[in-house]
Amino acid sequence: MSDSKDTSSLPQIPPLPWHQRLNLMSISALLFLGAALASMSAMKGSGRELDYWQNLKRFVYRCLPPDFSVSADAFKALGETIQISVLATFFAILIAFPIAIAAASNLSPLWLRSIVRLFMNANRTVHVLLWALLAVVLVGPNPLAGVIALTFYSLGYLCKFYSDSLESLDMKTAEALRANGAGLIQVFQYALWPQAKPFIWSYAIWMLEYNIRSATVIGYVGAGGIGLLLHSFQEYGHWDKFAAVLLIILVPVTLLDFLGERIRNKITGVARLKQ
Amino acid sequence: MTAAVLEEKSLPGTELVAVPRGIVHIQTQNLTLSRGGRILFQDMNLTVPRGKLVSVVGASGTGKTSLLLALAGLLQPDSGSVLYYGRDERTHLPHAFKHEIGFVFQELRLVPNTSLLTNVLCGQLGRQKWWKTLFGFSRTHQGAAYELLRQLGLADLIHRNAGETSGGQQQRAAIARALMQQPEVVLADEPVANLDADNAALVLKLFRRFAAEKGITLVCAMHDMALVDKYSDFVLELNERNPSAWSLAQVR
Repeated sequence: MSDSKDTSSLPQIPPLPWHQRLNLMSISALLFLGAALASMSAMKGSGRELDYWQNLKRFVYRCLPPDFSVSADAFKALGETIQISVLATFFAILIAFPIAIAAASNLSPLWLRSIVRLFMNANRTVHVLLWALLAVVLVGPNPLAGVIALTFYSLGYLCKFYSDSLESLDMKTAEALRANGAGLIQVFQYALWPQAKPFIWSYAIWMLEYNIRSATVIGYVGAGGIGLLLHSFQEYGHWDKFAAVLLIILVPVTLLDFLGERIRNKITGVARLKQ
Repeated sequence: MTAAVLEEKSLPGTELVAVPRGIVHIQTQNLTLSRGGRILFQDMNLTVPRGKLVSVVGASGTGKTSLLLALAGLLQPDSGSVLYYGRDERTHLPHAFKHEIGFVFQELRLVPNTSLLTNVLCGQLGRQKWWKTLFGFSRTHQGAAYELLRQLGLADLIHRNAGETSGGQQQRAAIARALMQQPEVVLADEPVANLDADNAALVLKLFRRFAAEKGITLVCAMHDMALVDKYSDFVLELNERNPSAWSLAQVR
């Protein structure tokens, strides 16, 4: 070939040594691949001869047609679920905001924000079901347990989002007002809060959406709401009723997702435009 | 200001401009400032009388902004000092005088998602206790802020968020905020840089009126020499090559 002749006249490209190809990304990706291979034993299931396809078909047939005679109960429980998430979000916003100020690097001294962040990180590692279990132990299986569980669950997230938003604020306007002799509270109220407000509210809406989804699950451990209903139908094998309840959950949650995202984009989009 | 106070405080032999006794407002003594290892100006002794407009000129990078920041006490000079002779017949260092110094930043620093009216009212914050501004501003102050915005041709935009207005409109609002502070001194960094000829004239005429009527002293970094000649009382020229070769000249 004529090509091979040409390449011999080209300068030799110095090869990249193998150890320079290894960086944190390639190493961790390799480790992950290795871990995936090593975890294959989890794929073997129970080891019994089961016809998965037949199982799925049987399950779907038992769900169909959904028995909407449970609608009245389901809507009542759904209302309770929404109440739980609205209240939990409300309390979480109130508690998270001052904590977020204490966790923001531009507003809080190092010692304070280190302590606050430690607690908030710990808070985020606790799953919502664990919070729910704890709350049920404290106040018994009722909607109050749900409110408590979701409030604590939301706190970690809202604190993180809120302190990040506060840290991204333009401090120059604040300094300008400080230079004219304004006090710290005045500077916060007039220079920082107007900038932070859209992000605070947008994250609150996101948290509400998230909590309504989570609130359906925590009923499984007794913390009130529609999850309780799902759990009992599952226990008794009333899959047609189970399916009806699922559909009743699905519609408002999807709607809220769609609406919430549009509202959030609008709020923060306008805020970004204004900056 | 009584002559007795001034005699006690003024340093003989440092005044380049003959200032009648009793009306000195700003005085710098051997002010020296360097930035990034370069001396911007050295041994600056200024005596600025009350109620005058001083334009600071010089090529970009000569230290106009740094001088204004040093006058405001926002930048620590290498040596020397800045003194203000207040209406209260006392002398003040800059940091103790900040309520009386209105500063117009070159990058304006308005709150973007707040109305022009509220932005201007923020000039009042330093004069109020925080619990008095917690639920907004008094009708009197709102009226005063509206009047300032009206005089600067922004009457139709008072409820518009600052971030939704043009650079020139924001600049005038930033000037209104500084004046809303009811300051004794206004330090303005390129206050007409973003303005067309008509609005530049509007602002500088307003400055002159505030100087004449309220005895406000203004120090403005400027670059348009035609405007400098037309509107200033004094011109302070900084020299790019020789930090000691600054000069203060009377225009009118």
